[in-house]
Amino acid sequence: MLDGILIGLATAFTLQNIGFVIMGCLVGTFIGMLPGLGPMSAIALMIPIAASLEPSAGIILMAAVYYGAIFGGSTSSILINAPGVASTVATSFDGYPMAKAGKAGKALAIAAYSSFSGGVIAALLLLVSAPYLASVSLSFHSTDYFALMVLGLSAVAAFAGKGEVLKALLMTVVGLMLSTVGTDQTVGVPRFTLGMIDLVDGISFLLLVMATFALSEALMAIIKRIDESKREEERKAAAELGSMKVSKEEVKEMVPVIGRSSVLGFLIGVLPGAGATIASFLAYGTEQRIAGPEKGKLFGKGSVRGLSAPETANNAAATGSFVPLLTLGIPGSGTTAIMLGALIGYGIQPGPRLYIDQPDVFWAVIVSMWLGNIILLVLNLPLIPYIARVLAIPARFLLPLILFFSLIGVYFVSFNTFDIQLMVLFGLCATVLRLLSFSLAPMILGFILGGMMEENLRRALLINDDSWSFLWERPLTLTILLIAAGCLFVPMLSPLFARMRKKTINAAEAD
Amino acid sequence: MFLTKERVGGLLLLAFCLFYSWKIYDIRMLPFQANQAFTPRSIPQILAILGVCLSFLIVIFPSNKERLNLSELNWPLGLAFLALMSIYGLSVRPMGFLISTSVFLMAGFAMLGERNILKLVLVAVPLVVAFWALMNYGLSVYVAPLPWFLRG
Repeated sequence: MLDGILIGLATAFTLQNIGFVIMGCLVGTFIGMLPGLGPMSAIALMIPIAASLEPSAGIILMAAVYYGAIFGGSTSSILINAPGVASTVATSFDGYPMAKAGKAGKALAIAAYSSFSGGVIAALLLLVSAPYLASVSLSFHSTDYFALMVLGLSAVAAFAGKGEVLKALLMTVVGLMLSTVGTDQTVGVPRFTLGMIDLVDGISFLLLVMATFALSEALMAIIKRIDESKREEERKAAAELGSMKVSKEEVKEMVPVIGRSSVLGFLIGVLPGAGATIASFLAYGTEQRIAGPEKGKLFGKGSVRGLSAPETANNAAATGSFVPLLTLGIPGSGTTAIMLGALIGYGIQPGPRLYIDQPDVFWAVIVSMWLGNIILLVLNLPLIPYIARVLAIPARFLLPLILFFSLIGVYFVSFNTFDIQLMVLFGLCATVLRLLSFSLAPMILGFILGGMMEENLRRALLINDDSWSFLWERPLTLTILLIAAGCLFVPMLSPLFARMRKKTINAAEAD
Repeated sequence: MFLTKERVGGLLLLAFCLFYSWKIYDIRMLPFQANQAFTPRSIPQILAILGVCLSFLIVIFPSNKERLNLSELNWPLGLAFLALMSIYGLSVRPMGFLISTSVFLMAGFAMLGERNILKLVLVAVPLVVAFWALMNYGLSVYVAPLPWFLRG
């Protein structure tokens, strides 16, 4: 492991890569701060630039953008109560009341220290657990990989919100369907190309991500009518931050919260499909319960614990979500799904072999997480008053610029104008689906895993002489598939069980 | 109360899944694949069945009764932007990067309410020129800057 850390340090601590971490953190914070744009859009917008770099530099840049965007999202949650992403919603519960009470600077500092601590502790846990998990997963066969991908996709259902299970599953299936467009990898037969030569290579991952996140986000802002009076409030909030000093008592209050929330966030982040949103809400709820009646009453009114817990947990979960990506090649969240797509674009196959075949990429990502967190604290925090001025850019200038960067990002990779037209079509479909409350992250997860899942299934069938018996004959495959079935059916059946239990209780009371 | 948000979404995705199912029969099968357990049609067939079943379930058992309120949304502006992006896609090659992008941005700013022509030009043109220079000289990504009739 020590050798690995040294490789990581040697790769990440070059002048060029430190520059990319600084740039990534700043750009990520800048984009993440824009209401509506989250880490997924931020990473998607950076892919064209990252594609022109060597793999480790590109991944370091994207990881830095990821952290920066989470940090930026927290800033807009605290200052203007407009969380860019769901994972920073819990931050606004206590961050915004603190800002309204004239302590915006303090709230931002608490959020920054908590994010930093959560990120650093989780990176340490990742450092310890990832190589171990990678060595275990070396014994996995293609049948196990197929089962793992099924688990990854069904976990989407397990962590979808109440009443959202069917929609999340359908969107995953739509993503899988889109992944089948193009030439079949084994036989070379075109599928769903509709006779168009531009679709023979399939749908570009970058195009789909840009259209579904960056483009549709900007279109949503355009059609929802811009409220300029609200923008005036945002400008004022960005201009008056107050002191950024945190007192000794507040630090004492934060330390145990950070310890608990880091471990909780990391563990939740490791679970495929769970991610930073669940981690932040769970950490907030746990701390509220632990705080006792007196301190618990302060939650929602500017509590230090209430701000520190979700901020620590969402950053720790972001780091935790790299565990399945780096060790199994399965994305734990929508954001890591985009990173997986980018890695595949480099010709790198994430998974247990990554640790052996490309240790520079594996360790550089882990080391860059520490570096990114340090830079966020040392550089971004003092720069927040200046970066926050981005909130003052009028929407009438900002939105066409976002559209332009999305379109040109895709065009500069393929130089095919057909891609722009396809992006417009996907942008329209994505906007309509978002208006109809259909989440697009499961679709991206399905799209990324679709090709790999089909390939592994085909290989497994080939090895087993076209027999499907591997599904129940290999214990590991069967166990993973049973867990997947549990993930799929428990959330579907739990409302039914709840109704039955209620009926039983009512009947007992009536007796 | 039939057309709730979920039902409309379910119906749209059902139409997509049916179209997908129909197009499965366009996938050519090679003669030796007839009796194979796994063909290029296998996964699409499974997905089509899953997609149709799930969208049916959403249409029949929607979990949410919320309705879509189109009157609150500025659809014409959204569609105008989609048309603008499409025109940009068609014009970026013949008209060159500098002119097509500057016009795209200025039109976008104007459509969102900026009426000062000087501001439109001063924000769009320097930004486009700087971006082109950065891509061309900084990242070695070449894109023709001028329209076809001015190229040498």
